[in-house]
Amino acid sequence: MDHVTPKLRLQGVSKSFLAPRAKAPTLAVADFNLDIHPGEFVCIVGPSGCGKSTVLNMVAGLDTPDAGAIELDGRQVQGPGAERGVMFQDYALMPWQTVAQNVGFGLLHGTPGQGMSPAQRQARVAEHLELVGLTAAANKYPHQLSGGMRQRVALARLLANGPDVLLMDEPLGALDAQTRLILQVELLRIWGETRPQAERRTALFITHDIEEAVFLGDRVVVMSSHPGRVRADIAIDLPRPRREALRADPRFGEFAEHIWSLIRDEARQAIGGLTPTTPQEETTA
Amino acid sequence: MSAAVTRSSNPEVAAGRVGPVPAARDRLAPWRALALPALLLVLWQLWALGLPADTRAPYPSKVASTLWALTASGDLPLALVQSLGRVMAGFACALVIGLLLGVPMGASAKLRDNLDPIIESFRPIAPMAVLPIAILWFGTGTPAAVFIVAYAAFFPLIVNTVHGVMNVPRRLLQAAHTMGVPRTRILLHVLLPASLPSVLLGARLGMGMAWTAIIAAELAVGAKSGGGTSGGIGQMMFVFYAYNVDLNAIVVCMGVVGLVALAIDRLFRAAERRLMPWKA
Repeated sequence: MDHVTPKLRLQGVSKSFLAPRAKAPTLAVADFNLDIHPGEFVCIVGPSGCGKSTVLNMVAGLDTPDAGAIELDGRQVQGPGAERGVMFQDYALMPWQTVAQNVGFGLLHGTPGQGMSPAQRQARVAEHLELVGLTAAANKYPHQLSGGMRQRVALARLLANGPDVLLMDEPLGALDAQTRLILQVELLRIWGETRPQAERRTALFITHDIEEAVFLGDRVVVMSSHPGRVRADIAIDLPRPRREALRADPRFGEFAEHIWSLIRDEARQAIGGLTPTTPQEETTA
Repeated sequence: MSAAVTRSSNPEVAAGRVGPVPAARDRLAPWRALALPALLLVLWQLWALGLPADTRAPYPSKVASTLWALTASGDLPLALVQSLGRVMAGFACALVIGLLLGVPMGASAKLRDNLDPIIESFRPIAPMAVLPIAILWFGTGTPAAVFIVAYAAFFPLIVNTVHGVMNVPRRLLQAAHTMGVPRTRILLHVLLPASLPSVLLGARLGMGMAWTAIIAAELAVGAKSGGGTSGGIGQMMFVFYAYNVDLNAIVVCMGVVGLVALAIDRLFRAAERRLMPWKA
């Protein structure tokens, strides 16, 4: 796929933060390189605090890299933009708005709805509520919904805005294990994995759940922490559409096992364990 | 209570259901709040029966007849309307200034650093303490009273507005940014609605302060002007205290002030529920 221009390119991206009461800034992300091709679903996994969310925030334009470049379709990313839709772990739904109003928020107030008539907006909201199966909850407020339903509202809002790239920051992280498994399959259906890759939307998905990353991704980027770097970039050549049965596939287990072996030492260290290992770039393609 | 007797006589307890049955609504609950005040009124009236006939001491039946007389003559309703008008005017001033100052202060730490010390050092100065200045600036009439009311209502409003804007979840602002929402629209459609609960709380507390302050302001303003022109319920009280000593009428005024405060509070709570249906 190297002949295709990448949809999204991160080149030598670094970011430091000055923690409260700290004297020197901490390097959160260092020399981060990643190319994502059109229609690809890329998952980033890594131990807690490895800077995965920082990477996503920089792509979203919510943070600015100290060094390096982030390009979308070859153009430098500057600040947030609706062509890069973001789905946050805490859903970020407006509590004073109904489900339908939340889904239509970007269409009404943001750039995605420019030039749309109210009827067109309404139709688009209805279509996306239908897509996530929340038509019946259109007039409810977020606090009246379960976590899984709120997550689907956020997904409907994300897609209604019609972004070019989907940026998802642990969107299933706050859900219970069963709901997660169900919504992983849902997410792939809504993303459109039955369509040919050219018609799929490019997705960058952050998670700390290795099996989730393997189940969802075309590629899994493993990050090491302090500072956050690409430790490995693993192509998950499991067939799509992916079904529940895939979780029992031995190859699925091998991928998960391999990724865990890359993260394990650092994860142990992070909880106060032993054996530091030297970070080492590793690529399995 | 004997468990054995209850068990045999009450089928619900016998069936293993413990505690109050949720389906049976407590019909007496609304009346319970009135029980103690009613009892105290009865005791007060009984105590007054032993007083000489020409006593100046107030007691319930006399207070009630005074209330009727003051209402029928139109004096009390007129005074109330005058006072409420001043409260509305002062509150409106405080609301406008509080929002115009509070929203930018909540959004900007620099502005906060500059203005917060000034506001916090005026806040402990009671509305009554600025009365001399108010009278010097505005004279003894309505403008001085309105100024006192605005001063009193301003602090709860600004403190809660700043707090509300400061505590708007950053995530909601970020989410709006990622949807390409321009800044002015983020202010109107994210920042303001997200801080509305705090602003409305500030408004309710500010209104309470305003109503408390108007009585004090009118008492003092009325005293200075000799009682004739400025009107209002506070001044009415002052007249009944200083000119024709009538303790029953003063009690009427006190009661009305309390009831109006309660009504205003309930009105604001109802407005809060209406303006924030998502909080229900």
